[in-house]
Amino acid sequence: MKTYDIFGYSFSAIKLRKLRAALTTLGVIIGIAAIVALLSITQGLQATITTQLNQGLSANSLIVIAGSGGVFGGDNGGFGGGGGGFEGGTTDTSGFNLYVNHSSEIQNLSPDITSAFAIIQRSGYVQSTNLNRSVTIYGVDFNAYSQAYSTFSAATGTVPLNPAENDAVIGSRVSDPRQNGSQLIIAGDEISLLWLNATVLPPVNETYTARVSGILDRIGGFGIGGPSDTGVYIPISTAQSFFNTDLSDMIIVTLANSDKATVDNVSSLITDYFGNQVTVISADAVQSLLTNVFGTIQLFLGGIAAISLLVAGIGIMNIMIVSLIERTREIGILKALGMKSRTVLTIFLGESVIIGLMGAVIGIVAGWFLSIITARVLGSGMFGGGDSGFAITPLLTPEVVFGALLFGIGVSVIFALYPAWRASKLKPVDALRYE
Amino acid sequence: MEKTTSVVEAINVKKTYMLGKVPVDALCGVNLKVESGDFISILGPSGSGKSTMLNLIGALDKPTSGTLLIDGVDISKLNDNQLADLRLKIGFVFQFFNLIPRLTAKANVELAMSIANMGKTERSRRATQLLETVGLKDRVNHKPAELSGGQQQRVAIARALANNPKFLLLDEPTGNVDSKTAAEVIGLIKKLNREDRVSIIMVTHDQRLAHEAKRTVQMFDGLISSEVVN
Repeated sequence: MKTYDIFGYSFSAIKLRKLRAALTTLGVIIGIAAIVALLSITQGLQATITTQLNQGLSANSLIVIAGSGGVFGGDNGGFGGGGGGFEGGTTDTSGFNLYVNHSSEIQNLSPDITSAFAIIQRSGYVQSTNLNRSVTIYGVDFNAYSQAYSTFSAATGTVPLNPAENDAVIGSRVSDPRQNGSQLIIAGDEISLLWLNATVLPPVNETYTARVSGILDRIGGFGIGGPSDTGVYIPISTAQSFFNTDLSDMIIVTLANSDKATVDNVSSLITDYFGNQVTVISADAVQSLLTNVFGTIQLFLGGIAAISLLVAGIGIMNIMIVSLIERTREIGILKALGMKSRTVLTIFLGESVIIGLMGAVIGIVAGWFLSIITARVLGSGMFGGGDSGFAITPLLTPEVVFGALLFGIGVSVIFALYPAWRASKLKPVDALRYE
Repeated sequence: MEKTTSVVEAINVKKTYMLGKVPVDALCGVNLKVESGDFISILGPSGSGKSTMLNLIGALDKPTSGTLLIDGVDISKLNDNQLADLRLKIGFVFQFFNLIPRLTAKANVELAMSIANMGKTERSRRATQLLETVGLKDRVNHKPAELSGGQQQRVAIARALANNPKFLLLDEPTGNVDSKTAAEVIGLIKKLNREDRVSIIMVTHDQRLAHEAKRTVQMFDGLISSEVVN
């Protein structure tokens, strides 16, 4: 029997029981839609984070933090990205401290290094007549920082390259927290900066008055080491006296070029110089870590969704067994007419392929819509509610589409194997006698 | 006289079933020869072994011992696939018509040809022609439920003829139709035998019907008890 005749016959059997076929297909649709939705959201999230990382941590810059605990194990803060950033985890126990003046020592390590500058960061508050909110206060070298990060440029006012002691630059969301254009702080305003000094007992609120010289362009997302929409930037010398410290939270190193050899070479020069007591973070390392993390998340979510497809598979098997019993006599007729056992097998498998194919195609489309809706909800709700809201654009890769299609059809066929085999093994004499 | 070849030849065919743990001898050594162009009826009461004979001649089952040649091939030596291929040469007509309910008359006839791998255009042409032969030209696109018993049986005959079988094998062909329709059906069968030289083997318990054949084979207790030329 020719293939298109087999499929035609399978299809005529499916058409006869439309509701039953629709319900069976629905199981596949739900499973595939769940897989596609979850994967395209996580892939979209990964793409968004990677893009923002690339903006925040350019390929030709390195971040040096104290401690040898790896990318996320640095002392005192690690990555500071305002409300949405990573905060460092473990405390370094080695007793090693990174000082602000280590930056000039690093600068002298290699001619490939174009600049090295320290950052001090503390959680604090900004207060003005109509605003009181928590922010991260960064002490930076305005000149070096604006050269290292193009996003450190003013939308209104200026970023002074030789700032006065009380000059400050603020992120766009500090000025406009609701992001609706109503600027609560404008360039030229005076603001009070405040932090809770817990190094003395009892803790005291330290405060001073700064003058806003510029408000940054909106950056979006978060950056590692790079400027943030929720940051308040003050000169490094002011920060040293205000926070009463010479300790640096991180030192940003910019390189003449971004090829892997230079990055690796300078990274090991720095780690060696400090006797392995610092961690050097490169864009490359962070990205490969992210890829790993997202790979695990996708496997986990995809696995959960796959369970629902397994349930659909059992549904298919169940319905095929019912169909096999109902059609015993028909199978007898087909065999009496000269149909071979393997053709009977193919007819039954053909039915499951049709169900799997329909379920997968509809499921992929449904999953895609679901991911768009979910991304909208997440974008405006949970993630957007934080200080560094960012929109997720769901990503549907050809791999996911192709994989979902194969998986949908594969599960359908596997669960149809047993009923189809039983159908093919029916003896024509017995099948014809079946009432 | 035209040279004839046998389409079916049974030599000491025995068939034993297991009914639970008890062996039941359904056929106890049957000898039978059906020549090409012949029209025989196998007559017998229920339990005489005629249904077993039908299953064997239809290549739906194999004998326990003895030799059964269908179109010259010993079916005991065939595997399932080869038996299926052999069945393509047999035109089976069942008592309960056994049409596929969801397919039209034409599609039912075409189904037999698609199993035999015939191309779409050819089988469509042939199905229409066969339905015309059995007098159902205007019922081509009707489904079985929309046809009378006699019409359904004629579709079944058209389907049986689809692959140019070596012989038609009919199981109580008039068992499920009224007497007027039965006469029509038997008329058609006789015409096919007379005009188109189709070999016919008919299994029945109906004495009158059996005597419409050229030859009547009487079965009793798993053996052929008598043979009459009508």
